[in-house]
Amino acid sequence: MKQALIVFAKELSDALRDRRTLLRLMVPALLLGPLLLTALSGLIASLEERAERRELMAVGMAHAPTLANYIERQTYTIKAAPPDYEASLRANKLLEPVLVVPEDFEAKLLAGEAPTVEIVSDSANQRAAAGTGALARLLGGFNRERAALNLALRGVSTQLLEPVDVQERDLAGVQARAARLTSIIPMFIIMAVLYGALTAALDSTAGERERGSLEPLLMNPVPHGALVAGKWGAVALMGMAVALLSSLSFVPAQWLLKSDSLQAMFQFGPGEVLAFWLLQIPLAAGLSALLMALAIRSKTFKEAQAGSTLVVTAVSLMPMVTLLNPGGDAPWYLWVPGLAQNTLMLAVLKGEALRWTQVLPGVVVGFALAAVALAYVARSMRAAVAR
Amino acid sequence: MIEIRDVHKQFSTPAGGSLFKRAPKRIVQAVQGVSLHAADGRITGLLGANGAGKTTTLRMLGGLFPPDAGHIAVDGITVTRREPAMGRPEPAQPPRGVGGVQGRPGGTLAALARMGILGDAHGLYPRLSARENIVYYGRLQGMTPDAANARAEALAKLLDMGAILDRRADGFSQGERMKTALARALVHDPANIVLDEPTNGLDVLATRALREALRWLRSPEGGGKCIVFSTHIMQEVEQLCDEVVVVSKGRSVAHGSVPALLEQAGEARFEDAFVKLAFPEEVAA
Repeated sequence: MKQALIVFAKELSDALRDRRTLLRLMVPALLLGPLLLTALSGLIASLEERAERRELMAVGMAHAPTLANYIERQTYTIKAAPPDYEASLRANKLLEPVLVVPEDFEAKLLAGEAPTVEIVSDSANQRAAAGTGALARLLGGFNRERAALNLALRGVSTQLLEPVDVQERDLAGVQARAARLTSIIPMFIIMAVLYGALTAALDSTAGERERGSLEPLLMNPVPHGALVAGKWGAVALMGMAVALLSSLSFVPAQWLLKSDSLQAMFQFGPGEVLAFWLLQIPLAAGLSALLMALAIRSKTFKEAQAGSTLVVTAVSLMPMVTLLNPGGDAPWYLWVPGLAQNTLMLAVLKGEALRWTQVLPGVVVGFALAAVALAYVARSMRAAVAR
Repeated sequence: MIEIRDVHKQFSTPAGGSLFKRAPKRIVQAVQGVSLHAADGRITGLLGANGAGKTTTLRMLGGLFPPDAGHIAVDGITVTRREPAMGRPEPAQPPRGVGGVQGRPGGTLAALARMGILGDAHGLYPRLSARENIVYYGRLQGMTPDAANARAEALAKLLDMGAILDRRADGFSQGERMKTALARALVHDPANIVLDEPTNGLDVLATRALREALRWLRSPEGGGKCIVFSTHIMQEVEQLCDEVVVVSKGRSVAHGSVPALLEQAGEARFEDAFVKLAFPEEVAA
């Protein structure tokens, strides 16, 4: 035990002295998440702003005084669209749909010939496409009003037109959109664990072999188990340290959020940081051991890096499973390293209380993985130098 | 005292093979009968050409892998790598240190505590200073931080490396690296010192300094250590060794002092004597 502590202390100070590598992994771990969150909040804010602005872009509105009158009564302002609106829409420069009114609109309307208006948008231009629904609803309102007036003139009840009264009730609204965006945060925390552990794991296994320092190390009167345990402790702690910094980085990030509703939704305080951090313990334990087990068989750092790519990719794609499986959270999620942490962190973000039955599977799997992988490393160490 | 009795070791290595055909394994007889007896207060040389099996023998002595056959003992403690179950260092291990050594399964650890080994691979930790490299091994040998530190200072004086003691090992020259690795191996003041081609890559001055240090360690005031070192350089053996074991093709073919070997081969020059003893068929041809 004491020997494991000595190894632990040495590996830790060794890893911390590698300033350049540490700084390099700090950039993705600490900056990327908050930056992305801020950028997304900017997008949401602009969507909200447009919804509040009640503006409409049109071509040839002068030909349709009746329609213009209706639209203005709905408290919308009408703006003239730029002449090259089609090209601008394609080039993502114009971010709203355009209403095109034909010259003979008013005449046809009076003659009861149903003039055609166009809502021009580009479905590849997402923000413009998002505005078409509101525009279509506005025109639908105009249609209904005209129809009702025509029928009323002929003494027919307008209720005949709408045998069913449909009303929408949106339960989620803007706040749900906010929740969908904050769900990227757990992914960054998981990546941080991985980044923190990766270099230390490779350096303490494949790195030792490459430097030729593993052989003399094994000729010290120390059981392999103690060596491996000490190294693993240091690697896991590095992962945990970067994870802590990463989750702390979201605290100042929330002050930068541009959207008020997102800011109201996203409460990330010390409690959340602590919960996030504690949830990473089994992941850091399992991943560190797994990375070491993969690396101990490699003769060089480079070879080990290639070998660890699979783990890095698999773990960083874990949160995608929730996106690809829209059937809601399945119980097996809690048994998969990475996915379990993702699910639990999302629950924390939603403000749900965690139950032991939710947390325990991840802990069991994480530490079981660590035990198996470490046993493998201890066994492979001697084989690694005996060739 | 180090006793190696008729050890054997074979490795299986993959041969050429091709992309679609798995290479057949080939058996390489690395060591097939090396014996050596190294007494305290003497320098015993393991002399052999490249690939003669010196390094493999010394790695078995270091407990990295067990011999297929034969017996290795250090101060009467058998070296057998019986790895204790993972994560559970032997349950009732008495405190290591003076007198805390016992010969029982897992005796490799006890044997290792009595040896200072400078192996073929002797990489340092580049981000640690020479002192930290040395102290780390001292701590692993069960020394207190203070004792390990004091010992590092003493060894720095012996090996004339005071100037680099607190520098990071990153930019060390070959000689500085070798000195640090040697100090690291000697940190726990072992009764037995094993060196595998320690003068490789050292210049004349560094080689001389190393020779002086080894002579001092052999002397009674230096502790009367049992020193085993392997080399392929005749000159070193002639100047340093009290006892020489000539190894050729995995076998120890002759042993004795330098004059005794000269006499046995009937040659005046040691190099001729070595070739005659190690490769009799080539001399005959």
